Amino acid sequence: HRLQGNDTILKCQKTFNNQIPKHNSKLYFFFCFKKYTQIVKDRMRSSSHEVHGTEPMDDESFAEFGKSEIFTLRTSMAKIRYANTYKMEPYRKFQAHLVRNKAQHILTQRLQETKYNGATSSFLCNSISEEILTAVKDMGFDRYKYVVTVLILQKTGQAIKISSRWVWDVARDNWVSAKCETESFVSLALIMACYYE
Amino acid sequence: AVPNMYVCEYLFVNQNVSSHSNSAIESAIGGNAYQHSKVNQWTTSVVEQTLSQLTKLGKPFKYIVTCVIMQKNGAGLHTASSCFWDNTSDGNCTVRWENKTMYCIVSAFGLAI
Repeated sequence: HRLQGNDTILKCQKTFNNQIPKHNSKLYFFFCFKKYTQIVKDRMRSSSHEVHGTEPMDDESFAEFGKSEIFTLRTSMAKIRYANTYKMEPYRKFQAHLVRNKAQHILTQRLQETKYNGATSSFLCNSISEEILTAVKDMGFDRYKYVVTVLILQKTGQAIKISSRWVWDVARDNWVSAKCETESFVSLALIMACYYE
Repeated sequence: AVPNMYVCEYLFVNQNVSSHSNSAIESAIGGNAYQHSKVNQWTTSVVEQTLSQLTKLGKPFKYIVTCVIMQKNGAGLHTASSCFWDNTSDGNCTVRWENKTMYCIVSAFGLAI
C-alpha cells in the first residue's frame, strides 16, 4: 500500500513537472484531488461490491478518464442503497448468563412471597411472561426473535415431566431457563432466542 | 427477503401441525396409564416424533416443540407464552390431550428463517 501511495505521488508529480504547487491554492486542491482519485482507482481494482443506485456526477475533471474508470469512480462515491450487508452474525450475540440472571430476578421478585391461588395464577403467568419478554428485548441483542414460556405448577405431590426439542441454528440460537420454588408451587420460565436475518 | 413462493402462513399449516402432534401423542402414550418410570421416554418420543414430522414438511422454518406430561392429581397448572416475532410468518400451535391418569400438553412454535 505504501509503495502504491508513492507511485501515485510520483504520477501526480509528473503531471505537475515535479513541483507541488503549494503557492497556488486552486492548483494545490486540484493536485490533491487527482492524488485521491488515483488512490481510489487503485483500491477499486482490488475490491468489488454491488451498488443499487447512484447520484449523478457532473464534475468536469472526470472528462480525462476512460469510460470504465468513470464507472468505478462513480460507484466508489455513490450513495449505496439496499445493498446486501452480507452479515452472518449479530452485532451483540445473545448472552445466556445475563438473561438467566434477569429472568431469575423477575421470578423471585414476583413470586417468592405469593401463595398459589387458582384464580390469579393465570393472570400472574401472563404478566410474568410479558415482563420477561420486555426485559429481554431491552437487553438489545439485535436480530433475535424470542419465545418466552412460563409455567406455574401447584405442588400436590404429583409428578410432572417437561421436555423440549428444537430444530435451529446451534451456533447462534440459544435458550435459558429459570426456576422459582416456594412451599405451594413451582414456577419455571423458558426463554428461547432464535437468530433472524 | 424471502421470495414470495416460499413465504407461507404458519397458521395456515396449523391444522397439519395439530394433527401431527396428536398422532405423535397417541402413538407414544395412547392407551397407557401414568407410569413414573416410563414418563421420561414418553416425553422424548412425543417431542421427537412431532419434530421429525414437522421437519419432513420441508418448510423454511425453525421449530421449537415443548411437551409437558403431568399426573392427574387435582393440582393446577398454568402456562403462558409470549413471543417476539413476525406475526405474518411465524406462529404456534398448542395441543392439550388427556386421559384418566395424566395430562399432556404439546406446544409447537414455528419461526420463519
